[in-house]
Amino acid sequence: MDSEVRELRLRNPSDYKKWRTFLESLNIFNFEESEVSGIDLTLGIFSGEDLVATGSLANNTLKYIGVCNKNVVTGSRFNVIVSALVNREFQRGIFHMFVFTKKKYSASFQHVGFSELASTEDAAVLENGKPGIEDYLGEIAESSVSPSEKIAGIVMNANPFTNGHRALVEKAASENDFVYVFVVQTEASLFRFDERLRLVQEGTQDLTNVKVVSGGNYMVSYLTFPAYFLPSSEDTIRYQTTLDARIFRNKIAPRLGINKRYVGTEPFSRTTGVYNQVLAEELPPNVELSVVDRVQAEDKPVTATAVRQAIKADKLSAIKALVPTSTYDFINNNKNELIARIQKGMNINGN
Amino acid sequence: MEIKETAIAGTLESSDIQIMLAKGANGIEIDLESDVKKQFGQQIESVITTTLNQLGIESASVKAVDKGALDCVIKARTIAAAQRAGQTTDEPAWEVL
Amino acid sequence: MAQKNEERLRRTMMFVPGNNPAMVKDAGIYGADSIMFDLEDAVSMAEKDAARDLVYEAIQSQDYGNAELVVRVNGQDTPYYNNDVKAMVKAGIDVVRLPKVEDAQMIQTLEKDVLAAEKQFGREEGSTHVMAAIESAKGVLNVAEIAAASDRMIGVALSAEDYTTDMKTHRYPDGAELEFARNMVLHAARAAGIAAFDTVFTNMDDTEGFYRETRYIHQLGFDGKSLVNPRQISMVNSVYEPTQKEIKNAQNVITAIEEARIKGSGVISMNGQMVDRPVVLRAQRVMRLAKASNLVDEEGNYIEK
Repeated sequence: MDSEVRELRLRNPSDYKKWRTFLESLNIFNFEESEVSGIDLTLGIFSGEDLVATGSLANNTLKYIGVCNKNVVTGSRFNVIVSALVNREFQRGIFHMFVFTKKKYSASFQHVGFSELASTEDAAVLENGKPGIEDYLGEIAESSVSPSEKIAGIVMNANPFTNGHRALVEKAASENDFVYVFVVQTEASLFRFDERLRLVQEGTQDLTNVKVVSGGNYMVSYLTFPAYFLPSSEDTIRYQTTLDARIFRNKIAPRLGINKRYVGTEPFSRTTGVYNQVLAEELPPNVELSVVDRVQAEDKPVTATAVRQAIKADKLSAIKALVPTSTYDFINNNKNELIARIQKGMNINGN
Repeated sequence: MEIKETAIAGTLESSDIQIMLAKGANGIEIDLESDVKKQFGQQIESVITTTLNQLGIESASVKAVDKGALDCVIKARTIAAAQRAGQTTDEPAWEVL
Repeated sequence: MAQKNEERLRRTMMFVPGNNPAMVKDAGIYGADSIMFDLEDAVSMAEKDAARDLVYEAIQSQDYGNAELVVRVNGQDTPYYNNDVKAMVKAGIDVVRLPKVEDAQMIQTLEKDVLAAEKQFGREEGSTHVMAAIESAKGVLNVAEIAAASDRMIGVALSAEDYTTDMKTHRYPDGAELEFARNMVLHAARAAGIAAFDTVFTNMDDTEGFYRETRYIHQLGFDGKSLVNPRQISMVNSVYEPTQKEIKNAQNVITAIEEARIKGSGVISMNGQMVDRPVVLRAQRVMRLAKASNLVDEEGNYIEK
């Protein structure tokens, strides 16, 4: 007979060994720090001394779910472990959650209340709980826009909002009837989400057909997508960006009527290069992709990275030509705070 | 009763039903997943709606994943989810139990 | 509805985890004499409310046949106790089982709370019975006053897991560590005229050990045993089955009672001897056991196997 669902303590070496050995027997081999360190709860079911099912939580994401179906009705242990994980999320006040899994398990998760957001040949991302993607899109949709119009979308981290971003939005606004600008909500940047959102709003205030919204949970920094269940790490970036592109193509664009997406070229980032390439493969023909060259200032492309480096070096004069007045004023007023964040270890490289 | 936060009750185990309750604006809206939806979907939704109405909840967004629950289980899980959502778990809704 | 002690068999009291719909739903199909829905140890803290709702709705709507319905509420030192008692009284439970009872005062508090709930929800006053689980050295030493603490008491049960921990030991196959407690609980029950329930046997793989323990507590005189698995019900019942000779004897006593009734005689006699009350009670109990074991038909005639 199976035990009740119990907590496993991965910091305890014997629990960790049991857990890892069990998952390895189910062909999960990636236990890299970046995947495992975020885990804040692990549950297990035992049959006698043997671990027969497990699953973990890392903030709002279910991870490392593994189930052995030997000698039991297929699915029964899976249902027990998943409902225990979902209930634990609710108990700690997380009402909306995700799971990233092999494509072949997507149906099992859908059977227990998860909805698929996107999938590739190998992987799938699903969500459960409220508010879900329909709630999110219902909230941001501009009711005055008719689906027959030309509607564009731009996703940006805007860390911070520069003249490069501004040029991209301006171009989209002039070529379309309406533009949604999605600001990535993930907090992993020098400028906090509320600051980034505010600067994009202020920097585009004069453009009447532009709506600046939060990217919610659906335009996350795709680099945070778990990839531990994939056989090799080589395909990780491609899988992550493909899922991201398909969520946009299959869920976001149709609901908001977006038929064109604008991206800027990213001369210095290989990852962004791969991302733009994947977008070009995935979005058309449903959504047309427009890749726009970066604007230049003094023969250099305007990038947010350059702005952050200038802040670090305390050379505000170098920034003036790169950003709109609203962004410059904000940086000028909060210079000390921003430098303090950099000194505390906030990474200013990347995008 | 007023829904103050999103809440859940029940499990995905056989004979149970998982009820997730969130604020809603357009009456009781139920998204039901069940193997027996064709035969019993209406019945399940009616038990949930009636129970919520008895608790004084007229608008809610409900997600239910049914694993073959009897009516009494559906009612019990709906009450538990509603009381958790209304933060009234400490004082059972005697008039509805 | 609950019946007082001498009219009811209590060979098997099956534990049912209170938050498990599949087990709550099916609890009636195994033929346990008593079904004990557990709101205490089998339910995690986060699910206490949901388990209470579930057991409540199940009692209201499910048919559990003739089984006596018992609920183990959470202890008086927990925040769940009051709502557990209220909800179960409102649901019309037969018996409220209070865990970790250490003195008569605790039963008197329970009695007061049950009465208040009966009044609040319009239940017949006195219709809800109670029982005590003895789980500590103190409880064992006070079990006589506990068993006699209330007219609502129908039984005392020994709960060995907590008791052996309190005694700084654990359970052994031969049960020597429980000898004193078993005899105390049993004597207190008999002196108070209520039922005595033995503790659970949790090793499902040790069938032989289970039979050995059940035969032993049957020999001591326990009414029955607490069980965690429905498979154990028929095993206990077979131990409690009366022999053909016991049934024949009981039938003779019953016939003698009947004859005395027809003659209008106040004195029951057999073979020239007066039959006193304990003999009558035992005969009635044997016949109930025989009927429950399908060894006699409705008229009390022995059915040859």
